[in-house]
Amino acid sequence: MNAPVSITATRRRLRVGRVVVPVSATVLVLVCLFPFAWMALSSIKLLSELYTIPPRWWPENPTLDNYRKVLFASSIPRYFLNSVVISVGATVLALMLAIFASYGFARFEFRGKSFWQSFVLVGQLLPTAAIIVPLFITLRVLGLINTWLGMILVYMIITLPLSVWMLTSYFKAIPAALEEAALIDGASRLDILFRITLPLSLPGISAVFIYAFITTWNEFIFALCFATDSSVKTLPIGLAEFSTEFNTDWGAVMAASMVMTVPIALLFILFQKLFISGLTAGATKG
Amino acid sequence: MHSRTGLLFALPALIVLAMLIAYPVAYTGLLSVTDAGGKLVGLDNFREVLRPRATTQAFTNTLWWVGGSIVFQVLFGVATAILLNTNFRFRTAVRSIALIPWVIPGIVAATTWAWMFHTEFGIINYMATTSGIVDAPVGWLTGRDTVMPVLVAINVWKLFPFVAVMVLAGLQSIPADLYEAARIDGAGWWDEVWNIMIPQVMPVITAVTLLLVIWALNAITIIFAITRGGPANRSLITPIQIFRLAFDSAAFNEAAALSVLFFIVCIALVFLYIRTIAQQESA
Repeated sequence: MNAPVSITATRRRLRVGRVVVPVSATVLVLVCLFPFAWMALSSIKLLSELYTIPPRWWPENPTLDNYRKVLFASSIPRYFLNSVVISVGATVLALMLAIFASYGFARFEFRGKSFWQSFVLVGQLLPTAAIIVPLFITLRVLGLINTWLGMILVYMIITLPLSVWMLTSYFKAIPAALEEAALIDGASRLDILFRITLPLSLPGISAVFIYAFITTWNEFIFALCFATDSSVKTLPIGLAEFSTEFNTDWGAVMAASMVMTVPIALLFILFQKLFISGLTAGATKG
Repeated sequence: MHSRTGLLFALPALIVLAMLIAYPVAYTGLLSVTDAGGKLVGLDNFREVLRPRATTQAFTNTLWWVGGSIVFQVLFGVATAILLNTNFRFRTAVRSIALIPWVIPGIVAATTWAWMFHTEFGIINYMATTSGIVDAPVGWLTGRDTVMPVLVAINVWKLFPFVAVMVLAGLQSIPADLYEAARIDGAGWWDEVWNIMIPQVMPVITAVTLLLVIWALNAITIIFAITRGGPANRSLITPIQIFRLAFDSAAFNEAAALSVLFFIVCIALVFLYIRTIAQQESA
């Protein structure tokens, strides 16, 4: 390591790095942050300030009018409620089923196991557009179009495979030795699952919960097809149609965007570690 | 442990999944070969849906959308990961900020960018005209030739952080002695990138790329919210065409035929992805 070549190389690295790294980091931050900042700024501008040429960077008279409009004079609060009910419903139901399924996959060998695991993964990856037509017809026959229950069922197509997949890898990471000791003491498999495995995998379960919740909160296509009545429409749909409802009042659209982003941002700030571990586990681990 | 207990644990979830996924898939197949009255019509729906020019156009657009998105997502994602893997002040803060595009709901990203790309009042046209990049405001989202590149750019912005996180995790697991050995040999920074970092994270990049292809095929939100496939079908991609056939024209059987074709492509990619990660795991 004391070879002269390496010292020159290191020096060159440091010199270039002193310029390139801060510059690219600044560009990165600007690119990622600017649209979000512009949304926040636009949401507190008056219409007259939004529709000016040239555009103004800072609002001269910051106003909460857009938020007042969104929160008290639009359907957004109702859509917010729908989004919460549907996302929580689909996430909790899927988790309940996934806890058992993942435990089965993580701790036992049985015939056809790899087939079923692939089936789960296919379910997670399958583009939703490929199945909207039969789902729509089936839901219509069952009278579940435009109902919370229908939306929750449909969203389980998304939350169930990803919960099973992620939880299996979390359960696998828990040493089986702990459970074997309890088995010898005569505990049943269900006892073990609820007394030992579940408490130990709380971080994993939270990560799955957050990931599944956010995925359904942001979901667009299913909501577009199966929630056409304002009593079940979710926030993404509300936002998409806001432009027509208010004849594209961009201030209100930006305020509504903020309202939709805040819960996600809070979850993200509070649980960043879980969030990232969930992301990486959900995507590639097997 | 070899027993039936495992299957019993998994069974409820598998039954629900089969009803929610396997059944609709099978039903799509049935719909694609019948008419609105349920009568078998062979491949008529396929012929009908493949005839219009919009179908071929949607197919080409989808290729551009997927190809353009993944190339730049991987490029910027890997570059970001390499940047975040170096030590500098505020690195943790920068890493959190870099995740913002991925965390923001897709629909919010779509509306915000639509506002920024607004022809008259958009901040992007303002910056482009004042800095002299363009002479007159550009109708980014209404122009036939600009709409697709702009939509791809938005999609790239949305998902490159995901690539960055995944690749960064890979970079951080590279053993330090690999770098030390290279430095003794006098390797410069580029040598390290090309001879250590990229080869070491190649499995991650392969897996993530396949995943991005699958996701891009599924990513209706941005295009639908901003252009609905317009102007003049210039941003129409196949999944949006399926939606339009089914819900705007109520041509369920043709939509099902198109779904079947779309499904075959997707399922092939999904299996390729599953095989890739299975191989990586056993390797």
